[in-house]
Amino acid sequence: MSDAPLIAGDFLALLANKSFSPLRTEALASAPVQTQATTVFAFHCAEGVLMAGDRRATAGNVIVTDRVDKIIEIDAGSLLAIAGVPATAFEMARVLQTSFEYYRRSQLQSLSLPAKVRALARLLRENLPMTMQGVGIVVPLFAGLDHSATPAKPQIFFYDPLGAQFQAVGHAASGSGSGTIRSILSYQERYGTPRPSQMNLAQAVQFALRLLVVASEFDSATGGVNPETQTFATIKLLGSAGVQTISAGQQAEFLRS
Amino acid sequence: MTEEPYRWLEAVANRREYVRDQLKGGSPAFAACLPGGILLLGVGAGNSKVFELFDRHALTGLGHPADLEKIRQAAIDAAHVEAFTRAPEDVSLRRLVGFGLSPQLKTNFEQIFSAPFLVELLLAEVGVEAGHDVLLRLHFDGAFQFQNQGAIVAASVPEAEAAAQTWLNRELNGKTNRADVAELLLQAWWCLTESKSFTEATPTEAERRDGWRAAAKGRVVEIAWLARTSPRLARYENLTLAQLGL
Repeated sequence: MSDAPLIAGDFLALLANKSFSPLRTEALASAPVQTQATTVFAFHCAEGVLMAGDRRATAGNVIVTDRVDKIIEIDAGSLLAIAGVPATAFEMARVLQTSFEYYRRSQLQSLSLPAKVRALARLLRENLPMTMQGVGIVVPLFAGLDHSATPAKPQIFFYDPLGAQFQAVGHAASGSGSGTIRSILSYQERYGTPRPSQMNLAQAVQFALRLLVVASEFDSATGGVNPETQTFATIKLLGSAGVQTISAGQQAEFLRS
Repeated sequence: MTEEPYRWLEAVANRREYVRDQLKGGSPAFAACLPGGILLLGVGAGNSKVFELFDRHALTGLGHPADLEKIRQAAIDAAHVEAFTRAPEDVSLRRLVGFGLSPQLKTNFEQIFSAPFLVELLLAEVGVEAGHDVLLRLHFDGAFQFQNQGAIVAASVPEAEAAAQTWLNRELNGKTNRADVAELLLQAWWCLTESKSFTEATPTEAERRDGWRAAAKGRVVEIAWLARTSPRLARYENLTLAQLGL
């Protein structure tokens, strides 16, 4: 019972204490063919923050799978959207999931939102050697609950590959199809009726699905949505009460309405 | 001293007596298996008796707060490293206690030149179905016992603990409502803290009800629920008396 980490509640310090390293940072002689993930985005709607992503992973011009979940529930009040190399991104998600729960359980209080945002920035910074080699780049989005407001207020953050963190006012997008989506989101936010921030859940889900359909028309690495083949997106809503997953069945219903 | 077996045995016996003496007056802790999950209960000062360890695991007990904290941290560290390096499904009480906590407690207890842990513990792991739960009673000397159903008690006096457990398992038979179970656990808590008998001249139900309410004034009844099914991985939830309608 003497293996306590140097920083109380810091799971990464505990792993280091036990000589585990979650992310590989050594240099490689040559780059392997990367599996990559593609279009994810988040925007404020009337009921919180809606985060959505297509489900395609590609390696070069090969479609690896159309069943990847790129929107990951990190804990009861945080969502991560991954774009980039899944091998690194999923490991980052796993580190964050375990770190946040480890802190909450060991310190008997939840990690603050700024600390959660920085925890992801720290992982991105530690991944810098892989990013610089071009074999492990990850550009995620993060949504978390700000408990300093009552009721708790969902916030969106986006990052650059080096770990810089930025708070999004209305929306954020990442991945190869994000250019298209950012344009539509900006247009809708400025001229649309209703604006994304005014949309109820049904409208927001329908809008998100349509965004992915459009993105997939311009970006071959974005999976898109096809009700006929039961191919839908991964969509989660972060409200003041926590995370809600919008199932494929619900998406089909919202898309029909 | 350690070269002489008799003196070593005597020293260990003295330590047992010392630990039991130090634990006297500790507030008993309880856990009970229900069809929907496991209810854990203790009366303390808030965040002092019942703790979440991992997704399906919780801890309660009595003893010195610093020792309780050391063991809680050790269990949380071990569970999270195990879950991260393997998978959350691989975290089990049997391995956590059998290969981690128990040997450490035994070593500390029998190394007579170091301080023993002043704790009596209950650990719980909720299973996928009723009958697959694990309730584990872990003693200060590293000894432990498992059971898969019913109720379990941790108290400072072994005889009273056994009597309370027998009484509780008889009284809880057929009860599935969390409020009813919590009420009975609190009655047992009051009987134990007031040294009332569970076998002869047991206080009436009205006395027990009034007794725990009066004794719990100014203290915090810490209740936790490990849900058998949940959309989330973490099954642990803190409950209040008001939430249970008590």
